[in-house]
Amino acid sequence: MAESGRKYSFHVEPKALQVSDRPRKFLEAFAAVLRHGNYQLALDTYARLSTRCGRCASTCQLYATTQQDEDLPCHRSELLLRVYRRYFTRWGVMRARLFGGFTLTDEYLDQMAEASYRCTACRRCKAACPMGMDHGLVTRLARWLLAEIGLIPKALVVSVRQQLAGVGNTSGIPLPALKDTCQFLEEELQEMFGVPIPFPFDVQQAEYVFFPAVSDYLLEADTLMGNAAVMHASGASWTIGTGNYDGINYGLFYSDRMLEQIVQNVAAEVRRLRGRKVLVGECGHATRAAWYLNTFAGPDAPPVVNCLQYAHQMLTAGRLRLRDQRIEEPVAYHDPCNIARGGRITEEPREILKTICRNYVEMTPNRTENYCCGGGGGTVSIDEIRGFRTGSLGKCKADQIRASGAKIVVSPCANCKKQLREVCADNGLPDVQIVGLHDLLLKVIEVK
Amino acid sequence: MIDLQTWIDWAGGPLFRAALAFMLLGLARRAALNAWEIVRAWRRAGDKQLPWRAVLRATLRWLFPLGQVGNRALFSATTLLFHAAVILVPLFLAGHVALWQPWLGIAWPVMPSALATALTVAAVVAALGLVIQRAASRATRALSRLEDYALPIVVGLPFLTGLLVMHPGWNPFSYQWTMLAHVLSADLLLVLFPLTKLSHMVLLPATQLVSELAWHFPPDAGSRVAAALRKEGEPI
Repeated sequence: MAESGRKYSFHVEPKALQVSDRPRKFLEAFAAVLRHGNYQLALDTYARLSTRCGRCASTCQLYATTQQDEDLPCHRSELLLRVYRRYFTRWGVMRARLFGGFTLTDEYLDQMAEASYRCTACRRCKAACPMGMDHGLVTRLARWLLAEIGLIPKALVVSVRQQLAGVGNTSGIPLPALKDTCQFLEEELQEMFGVPIPFPFDVQQAEYVFFPAVSDYLLEADTLMGNAAVMHASGASWTIGTGNYDGINYGLFYSDRMLEQIVQNVAAEVRRLRGRKVLVGECGHATRAAWYLNTFAGPDAPPVVNCLQYAHQMLTAGRLRLRDQRIEEPVAYHDPCNIARGGRITEEPREILKTICRNYVEMTPNRTENYCCGGGGGTVSIDEIRGFRTGSLGKCKADQIRASGAKIVVSPCANCKKQLREVCADNGLPDVQIVGLHDLLLKVIEVK
Repeated sequence: MIDLQTWIDWAGGPLFRAALAFMLLGLARRAALNAWEIVRAWRRAGDKQLPWRAVLRATLRWLFPLGQVGNRALFSATTLLFHAAVILVPLFLAGHVALWQPWLGIAWPVMPSALATALTVAAVVAALGLVIQRAASRATRALSRLEDYALPIVVGLPFLTGLLVMHPGWNPFSYQWTMLAHVLSADLLLVLFPLTKLSHMVLLPATQLVSELAWHFPPDAGSRVAAALRKEGEPI
């Protein structure tokens, strides 16, 4: 039996504390994942080549602040690699038989769980590793295996349960409430522009089916009004599906099993509506998760367009007109890791901002080398670790924002927005506004 | 009385050939398995589109890492010097080429002996430098295992003994003992190549691709894992 009173810095569900025989179950899950997934080659290479050179130290914003040995990216990966070497390589198994040594224990699993949720899996350290190790990948895999023995922050698993087995979305917004919200936003838009701008529901054969982070409906009214205004002004055919209106996919943070199901639900809704493309709202991880449609939804998977790409394309093509008004305050752009680290979306938002702002400033480092907001990898939804998130993880970002002199930081990601607001509040930057890119577009766009 | 020359001939003859064969076959096996696994992972992946250009760029950046010295500058510079020396000297030293020539029937240009001496000194100093810097920096000290300290020393040994062989005037020991130590330490090094992280010699060109492929999941891996763990239909 697992000992009672086990504590983590994050809350877990009561049932997580009652799981028995955890090391064996962890190893069974590990074996199944190695057999059916695509991780073994990477783990084998890392286990062989990991050179422990410490170069990742200078790239990790967490280690830069805490200077604790266990926060070194390579150290964290080593926690899982050690288990891999011991139980899944011939040499490791033989050595253990002959000489004993390392055995996986409950305490070791607890240590791994703690370490796995101190990392935001931002993958900034990947570029510094001479051996090409992707510590974000290893952290995520450790999280998956831990989740299979019930060891997962309550905040994450409750959201996924809501989405896959509950109301159908991570914020638990029932359809009538959603429709009320959209109606309210339509009224606001009518007041703002003097013309009706709809949030269309269940339009068949629309070109774009819209999947924002569902929390936007609760927290980011301006972003959503900006989205609707851009779609309306550019004459797009778009729709919100009443069967599935949540782009959030926490599977990306901890489990291929959940990732697969949630992505398939997105594909199913697009098929139901006979829509052509998935339009993802302002959300980094929702975009990266949607890119997995190619993996999970077969050869006729709908193409994925992020709303930043869409707005940029319309602006460049002259299909979005702007009023003479411009944003006057200094504006900086925060790159969400999930769309920027691989270099996929970095320039479009900058070009838009340079067009609509008079005083655009850059934070350094940026683009593929950006600092994480400090709330990546799902940690932003774990409220009980706020002090750690905005302190140890967020301090680098706060310093970076302060140095840029920006009064408005644009962050087209629901997670980054929540985290950056808390980072600014907790690090003496109360005057800095955190907004979405569409919040600013809403102020300058011309709608007829 | 031990006939040292016999031992030297044995270590430099049959033993060396065995060690070299072990290294070449071992590395070839590693490289072949790696290539096989890469193809297998790619075929299993649901999304077969890879960002080839980015992978290639990252691969080249680390095969020729001159631009990467800014991070941990002294350590990185030491590493570069170490690699340059340990790759060039064994291949282009006149004494070594002369040994290969009758065996392979081909010859290649040799480096001037002054350069060879300088690079050999560099290899020894860099090997020591790597060990010292590893121990001196908090981050690496926390990460390192015995193997991380031992390997630069094992790699440095044939260079140190080789330096003494080339310059008898600097050598406080007998020539023959030094030569035996030189050949034996080189044999040991060859054997270690496929067994340790020294195998990055053949694996490094593929590591960026390997990392990328790991993100390309098989389309049904999640459900298969659920089935294997008998968790299908289990509440979340």
